[in-house]
Amino acid sequence: MSIFIQILLNSLETGGVYALAALGIILIFRTSNTTNYAQGSISMFNAFIATYILMGTGLPAFAVAILGMLSAFLVGVLVDRIVIARAQNVNPVSKQIITLGLIMIFLGLAPMLFGTDPLQFPRFIYGAHTIMGANISYNAILNIVIGIVIMIFLFIMLQKSKWGLAVRATASNDIVARMMGIPTPLITMGSWAIAAALGTLAALMIAPTSSVNLSMMDGVQIIALLACVLGGFQTFYGPVVAAYIIGFASNFISFYISSIWSDSILYVLILITILFKPNGLFGKKIVKKV
Amino acid sequence: MDKGKNKLIQLYKSKKPYSDYIVFGILLIILPILVDLGIVKYSYLTTIASILIFSIVALGLNLLVGYSGLISLGTAGFMGLGTYLAAYITKDLNLPFEISLLISVLVPMVIGILTGLVSLRIEGYYLAIATLAISEILRKGFVEFEAVTNGFSGKQASYPTLLGFIELGRNGSFIMIVVFLIGIMILTYNLINSYTGRALSTMRGSEAAAQAMGINIFKYRLLSFAIAVAYSAIGGVLYMHFVKYTYPNAWTLTLSLNLLAVIIIGGVRSIPGTILGSFIVFGVPDLILKRLPIIGDIDGAAYIFNGVLIIIIILFYPLGLIHIRNDLKKLMFKFKKRKESYSEQA
Repeated sequence: MSIFIQILLNSLETGGVYALAALGIILIFRTSNTTNYAQGSISMFNAFIATYILMGTGLPAFAVAILGMLSAFLVGVLVDRIVIARAQNVNPVSKQIITLGLIMIFLGLAPMLFGTDPLQFPRFIYGAHTIMGANISYNAILNIVIGIVIMIFLFIMLQKSKWGLAVRATASNDIVARMMGIPTPLITMGSWAIAAALGTLAALMIAPTSSVNLSMMDGVQIIALLACVLGGFQTFYGPVVAAYIIGFASNFISFYISSIWSDSILYVLILITILFKPNGLFGKKIVKKV
Repeated sequence: MDKGKNKLIQLYKSKKPYSDYIVFGILLIILPILVDLGIVKYSYLTTIASILIFSIVALGLNLLVGYSGLISLGTAGFMGLGTYLAAYITKDLNLPFEISLLISVLVPMVIGILTGLVSLRIEGYYLAIATLAISEILRKGFVEFEAVTNGFSGKQASYPTLLGFIELGRNGSFIMIVVFLIGIMILTYNLINSYTGRALSTMRGSEAAAQAMGINIFKYRLLSFAIAVAYSAIGGVLYMHFVKYTYPNAWTLTLSLNLLAVIIIGGVRSIPGTILGSFIVFGVPDLILKRLPIIGDIDGAAYIFNGVLIIIIILFYPLGLIHIRNDLKKLMFKFKKRKESYSEQA
């Protein structure tokens, strides 16, 4: 029993990280109509910036995390203004290739600015607690809570606020939304900024265990994309729920089957799932009109 | 004598793209001779050989991206699989090169087709995500299956032996790469202009219209992906027998992205464009950037250069750099015409 609870708690933490990254990807997908492959590299880049602020100023970790998210917000705005906003009339495939080009730029810039050595990022708080025989650190509890709170907040905003209405309108039909007076360029810019901030938060959550390095977000990026596939690209909540499911499956597989091959088994399982549910667990079938 | 020359030129002109490819191949074959004479440095030969190998891989990717509108992020993974299979079969199992080539291309193709079967039924971007996952699995395999792959330390092979008795050296292997490249260029050209190529072109124009014409979109998407995987595996085999060394970290997403950069920069749907792009992406950093004073010392310079180039070309010059000559010609023509009309007025 205690092992099961341990796995459950671990999965809530890793699932939260995946869910934050997946939410960023789906937000961009719905408003800009492109899968953002650069989400992971933008997060990695900003995690480096946050770590540099930490080393330079000695501020507490949570303050640095907020600063890091702010810088990510700025980077998101810049990426949208300089590149994505100009690519409005580019076809979808080329738009995806643009985000792949962004990966190359960020992966090239990071070692140039921050060096190639991995850096350490501390936990937000230290100490641990035992719940029903399962050991959990306060930091993990904090991560779980932050992840869930941020996501609930974003979902309430999406459903109830004027901004959320504008995002949903842009997501469902860009042209009509613009005709109704919604500033769609601003909405798109906002989603790139928020997505970058969410990704950076996810990066800083896993930073204490994996260290801040160039490939820290590679696995998270793949799983976040697969979460979008598993949850379906048509809803905002689908990928988030799928991310938590994947988090649980990942911990379960690495404990009971094999820790070396857990990711590989997971990828194959997800691909097999798509074979039976092509539109994802929560997706609807899209009917294309000619 | 004069007449014979004319005939040769006529033959050259009547068989246009083919004769161009063959002339290009002959020019490349001269290169090892120049190296032996000491006119060209040895390191250039290695660089150019890898550029040619990557051109082969990029040709397949160009078919996939240009005609089916699909992106594969697993190119490097499949290429790596090709290298490891080639090394294992020729070195550990001591089988001849021809059998190794066949198996090393077939196995990645089967994996590719399975991936395609899963991911191609839905939206195009599913393939990119699926191949991203598959290439991570493959890379994990390169590290973990130590009995076959020798883990992180990498695996070695030797120059190929053709038909069991023709032992190729460095120059021989280079010529083999050139022959493969020219063969694949001709094959790709024929493919594009065949029924399959026309079906792919129709799909590119409008999927709905293609479907209405009775073209099975899923089948042709799968076919173009299978061809792309096969080309990358061939590239892998050639790489293994020329570079003679492979290790897991050579086959990361970085390489897949660079290969994508090749076709975007050179020219989508253009065979000479792919070659040009390959020279820009893999040649410019090695031959020029590294020799510059300040930029040469920066680690990621080549990578940033390619990334920026991709974005600029997609935004401002989507057909690729291969079209720059025609556009310049047109511009010159316009300029001349304007000048003439001015002089007439005066």
